[in-house]
Amino acid sequence: MIKSPLKSKVDSRDGKLAMAHLYVAFIALLVGGLAGLLQVLVRSGKFQLPAGIGYYQILTVHGVVLGLVLTTFFIMGFQLSVVSKTAGTFTGKQRTVGWIGFWIMTIGTIAAAVMILLNKASVLYTFYAPLQAHFIFYLGLTLVVVGSWTVGAAIIMKYAEWRRANPGQQSPLLTFMALVNTLMWIVATIGVAATVLIQLLPWSLGWVDTVNVAVSRTLFWYFGHPLVYFWLLPAYMVWYAIIPKIIGGKIFSDSLARMSFILFLLFSIPVGFHHQLLEPGIDAAWKFLQVVLTFAVVIPSLMTAFSLFASFETFGRSKGAKGLFGWLKKLPWGDARFTVPFIGMVAFIPAGAGGIVNASHQMNQVIHNTIWVTGHFHLTVATAVVLTFFGAAFWLVPHLTGRKLTKKMNKLALIQGSLWAIGMTFMSGAMHAAGLLGAPRRSAFSDYGGSAQAAEWIPYQIAQAVGGSILFIAIILMLYIFINLAFFAPKGEQEFPVGEALHPEEKAPMVFENWKLWLGITVLLILFAYTIPFIDLIQNAPPGSKGFKLW
Amino acid sequence: MAKAELKSNTKTEIEDSSSLKGTLASVFFIGFFIIVLWVGVYFLYLDRF
Ligand SMILES: [Cu+2]
Repeated sequence: MIKSPLKSKVDSRDGKLAMAHLYVAFIALLVGGLAGLLQVLVRSGKFQLPAGIGYYQILTVHGVVLGLVLTTFFIMGFQLSVVSKTAGTFTGKQRTVGWIGFWIMTIGTIAAAVMILLNKASVLYTFYAPLQAHFIFYLGLTLVVVGSWTVGAAIIMKYAEWRRANPGQQSPLLTFMALVNTLMWIVATIGVAATVLIQLLPWSLGWVDTVNVAVSRTLFWYFGHPLVYFWLLPAYMVWYAIIPKIIGGKIFSDSLARMSFILFLLFSIPVGFHHQLLEPGIDAAWKFLQVVLTFAVVIPSLMTAFSLFASFETFGRSKGAKGLFGWLKKLPWGDARFTVPFIGMVAFIPAGAGGIVNASHQMNQVIHNTIWVTGHFHLTVATAVVLTFFGAAFWLVPHLTGRKLTKKMNKLALIQGSLWAIGMTFMSGAMHAAGLLGAPRRSAFSDYGGSAQAAEWIPYQIAQAVGGSILFIAIILMLYIFINLAFFAPKGEQEFPVGEALHPEEKAPMVFENWKLWLGITVLLILFAYTIPFIDLIQNAPPGSKGFKLW
Repeated sequence: MAKAELKSNTKTEIEDSSSLKGTLASVFFIGFFIIVLWVGVYFLYLDRF
């Protein structure tokens, strides 16, 4: 039997595996952050890249290294930690599977990164065909995905073992959540694996001459939207299950948290068309259906908001808070483990609202391919998610390395979070505004032949450069804190906070652990939303496209 | 009389300590924010297309 894992520390062998993931994640933060800084400087029109480095090359570095590498490695390290903490130490075999996955992901990352740095793969992070990268880039991405499946297998094995050892009992909340995210990730990445293995690899190797562009983009977005939720759900784990413990309160409802995660599993995948609303070749009726399913995600999102506020308010009132918002004053604002993720939660309000605009068909025409979209996902992933990850790193890293978060580091962490909020307000705010004025995303600086409309965007581009520079300072500060917590902070025991439910006697229904049921509904929804559109895209396909290298 | 008063006082206090009215107000604020942004961009759309 598993002996009361809640009281124990994460086993140091599991800690090493998790830390290996975090090292890669924070190296990625440095590389990707530097690329981001160069981008905003170029787009201000006041700076040119030296030594023949291309704008689209650093754009690819920024997107791939932060969007795919930082996130995936951090999430895998974090999920391994919470599972080890709440379901018990991994067995030797499970841990070996985890290490194999880590090395496959790392080798894939290095392969893809080398091709980008050699300027053989400046295809941006969406790697849309018919832009054609060197085949090693696609091979590298495949390895990252296969490696993540392998790490996921370790989590699934641990969960299965826990269920066998504890028949008829609900699994620990954080393990349950990590499992949902792993299952969603596996179902979602089948899409990107399919386009890379069946379409892009053979085409980049010259085995076939042409590619069906619409099919490859559709497979990409089948993966691309749940990718967003793969980033977000670990942040939700922190918000639902860890923050309540940090503030000294309780999880508002264990069942509500589980149900919202199940809803995210169901509604994250059959919705990719909301990224393709302006693409030909997909019938408007199917776009409409997927937009409706997209809006279904509003329900678990508002459930999450309700649950978080409720957990804060219940805590504040237990401390004697009065009035409508008196409980806000009782929250531990001096604690970076709370405040930095809280900034992320606040950012998620405009981020979510903007997402609803993006997914509405007509309004998508206002913002499509404008820098509004870039502003949007810098609020979702690059603020809400990333600040929550940083907030988790403040206790996770010292917990795993046997050190302590000192008062001084806590203060630096608070400065780091505030700088991020200020920098992002400038950068993302200016991106949203310029996007509404028609400024395109992705493209390098241009005055578009002296066009009057393009001249309107310039002040916003300068504001983006200011915001981006502040963000880069925040990144350097974060790296300093990470290195301190990993190598130099004083030895000690840092708590791994795991929240308890407000009403622990209320057991969540066991139906939540019925994976045949939930995966069955997931697959049915996917088949319903995608089968006929795919048949259309393949049967009525225009001639395929040869590859282009436009950089 | 005094006893009844005491009773009602405790009752309001209990209600206050478990009240979620701030939560309700906050969630309504988010809903309101979503609607304002949506309607704003919708009118921008109507204006342009
Ligand atoms: Cu999406």
